[in-house]
Amino acid sequence: MNRAPLIFLGVFFALAFSWTGIVLTNQIAYGSLEPVFDESEGKAFPESIPGVAAQGKLVYQDLGCMYCHTQQVRRPGFGGDIDRNWGERQSVARDYIRERRVLLGTMRTGPDLRNVGARFAGEGGREWHIRHLYDPEITSPGSIMPKYKFLFETRKIVGEPSPRAVQRLLPADAQPPEGYEIVLTDRGHALIEYLLSLKDVYTYPEEASRVYVEPQPEAKNGDNAANTNSEAQQ
Amino acid sequence: MASAPSLAASISPSTPPNTVARAELSEIDASTKVPAIFFLGSSLLWLLAGTLFALISSFKLHNPAFLGDAEWLTFGRVRTAHLNAVVYGWSVNASFAVALWLMARLARSIVRHSNMLMLAGVLWNVGVTIGITGILAGDSTSIEWLEMPTYATPILFVAYALVGGWAVITFRFGRSQHIYVSQWYIFAALFWFPWLYSIAQIMIIFAPARGTVQALVNWWFAHNVLGLWFTPIGLAAVYYFLPKVLGKPIHSYYLSVLGFWSLAIFYNWAGVHHLVGGPVPAWVITAGIAASFMMVIPVVVTAINHHLTLVGSFSALKYSPTLRFIVFGAVNYTLASLLGSLMADRNISEVVHFTHAIVGHSHHGLYAFFTMVMFGSIYYIMPRILHREWPSATLISVHFWTTAVGAVIMVVVLSVVGTKQGLAMNNAAIPFLSMEESDVVRATLDGLRVRSYSGILITIGHLAFAINFVWMLLRPRADHNTAPTLFRNPEPDLEVSSR
Amino acid sequence: MEWFFYGLAFLVAVAITASAVYALNWASKKGQLRDFEKGAASIFDEKEPIGEPTDFFPGKDPKNPKRKR
Repeated sequence: MNRAPLIFLGVFFALAFSWTGIVLTNQIAYGSLEPVFDESEGKAFPESIPGVAAQGKLVYQDLGCMYCHTQQVRRPGFGGDIDRNWGERQSVARDYIRERRVLLGTMRTGPDLRNVGARFAGEGGREWHIRHLYDPEITSPGSIMPKYKFLFETRKIVGEPSPRAVQRLLPADAQPPEGYEIVLTDRGHALIEYLLSLKDVYTYPEEASRVYVEPQPEAKNGDNAANTNSEAQQ
Repeated sequence: MASAPSLAASISPSTPPNTVARAELSEIDASTKVPAIFFLGSSLLWLLAGTLFALISSFKLHNPAFLGDAEWLTFGRVRTAHLNAVVYGWSVNASFAVALWLMARLARSIVRHSNMLMLAGVLWNVGVTIGITGILAGDSTSIEWLEMPTYATPILFVAYALVGGWAVITFRFGRSQHIYVSQWYIFAALFWFPWLYSIAQIMIIFAPARGTVQALVNWWFAHNVLGLWFTPIGLAAVYYFLPKVLGKPIHSYYLSVLGFWSLAIFYNWAGVHHLVGGPVPAWVITAGIAASFMMVIPVVVTAINHHLTLVGSFSALKYSPTLRFIVFGAVNYTLASLLGSLMADRNISEVVHFTHAIVGHSHHGLYAFFTMVMFGSIYYIMPRILHREWPSATLISVHFWTTAVGAVIMVVVLSVVGTKQGLAMNNAAIPFLSMEESDVVRATLDGLRVRSYSGILITIGHLAFAINFVWMLLRPRADHNTAPTLFRNPEPDLEVSSR
Repeated sequence: MEWFFYGLAFLVAVAITASAVYALNWASKKGQLRDFEKGAASIFDEKEPIGEPTDFFPGKDPKNPKRKR
């Protein structure tokens, strides 16, 4: 009694079934989504990621940031993502089409970072990231995030102090000895540029017409104070 | 039984048939010796390395300053090194060893071309070493379950192709008339894995698909590594060792076949439940959740079958190390799968998604089920290929109790803590991090500490296992063990066949 | 263009169904779907017969308590 051909056929079609359904169908259905050109703004969205930030994404990948931080915002009423101010709207497939590597993540030991560039923007945001990466306890007491001191280097001041010197942002006990300065390395600089670039701001036409079934009246009330509070702590 | 091979044939015709048969079985077992020991030895080394990485990353979660200044030991890398060491190092090496031993036995064929297997084994371990070094050095791809850098993956692929080729050859020239259900599982697994692996490599790394299609491919792959590679290998071992150790055929062969086909059809759709609420088409998620619920069928069928086989022989758990590990693993297969089906539900996933509960669940499946089944199989295989008993029964007991208790504590604690974490995270009134009031981060810390202690317990078990393993390899062969198959009375008069 | 894909998908579906029907028919004609339970005994034989446990803690075989490691 030799059932081998029958078993092989079954085994083959079993996987072919999900491969067609999950992989091929979706590749055909939305694997060639295009950016949307907005006439009034004169550019296409999502915008492409600037060069230094793209370098920073590689640092984000090699340090394994995505094992504690997701980059996806769930819809209002499903989880606390919107209420926690992790984004103005839910993430949609089109947000990711310019990314060579999509880092959705599956773990939130720390908060979602999809819109961290909107929460910490500009020069203030940059300085916050510098302190936070040097030692998370400076900006966020009680944090269990690792220190990334290896993204900084302490070196002797030769001639003019470096424009990248950051010790003025650090607390007294982290100050370098006289004649030395703490500078952000290129990798650290790129990583911060990447974090600053993370925001999904554009509302796509298909998104604007979306109606949420659950408006969540209670969850919105009175939480704004707590939100701002918790954001300031992070 | 067809005609016996060389050694058996050389025994004089007047010898009782029992002895001839044993010599044949012994010869098959002996032919697997070199490759099996190579794979098992490497898997053991990876198990120890993976355990060390696990301990480091676990301590870092509640004490971030621990080894905090070394870039190559930062959490994101050492956690990834842990996953890759236990998945591609320990689990795959162990499954190769168990699968090849089972295939040789079930096909009633001595292992030919073992050079091919050895080459595959060397390449595989070189690939994994390069891959994990690359991860620690900062070349991780940051794609879950596919973190190894691109310069390691082709080596792994070649190694795998050699194992697959060898399996086809062995099967083709096997002499058994019947294909036992364990062989179904092993062949399906051997066939599925390269398909999954190559599609995932191509569509995520070498020619990346656009946008979140990558995420779908990622979870189609990663969940199927568990569902279509480790689960079938683990179940193949259970379906062989459970009846074999008890000396009792499986309760219902029909149910085992039903379990196989329902697993094959439903499991491969289930993986997308890792993307519930994510930016992917809702219908795929719904299909994934439906498939996760359908998994109840193969799981319950398998559980009933195993339970009814064991009923009436519970006392055997006292005597057989293999049975203890296998039964512990089989029970946890049932529990982990049923919980997994529940966790796929949208309302439950809303809470447990993105939390430590998922980490607990993966250890439930990959440790409490798969790894324990592999331990049990190794306790059965090693004496038969080495013709030596395990040196210490105490160490076996220590190994069993520390790993079993440790695994239970870890899974329970992480599930509880993860649920707390998820409930707190979904309630925006609770701050994420705050020194003044209770917050999301602090909801997890005590549990994470307990998890580290359970990890220490498991480490003790692994050390006991390693000592026993090395001791067994090094000790000389005992004189009185001349019978080809061990753990049995050499005099046939006490053995009663029910045939 | 879309109709081309639908047509192709339909043909593939028909081919898969047909091959499944053929394979099941072939298997049933060859008697492969009969007498399932026989398979369960295929891992036992005269050297490791049914009714005989095969694994014990070292030195703890209850049938043979005297045997030392």
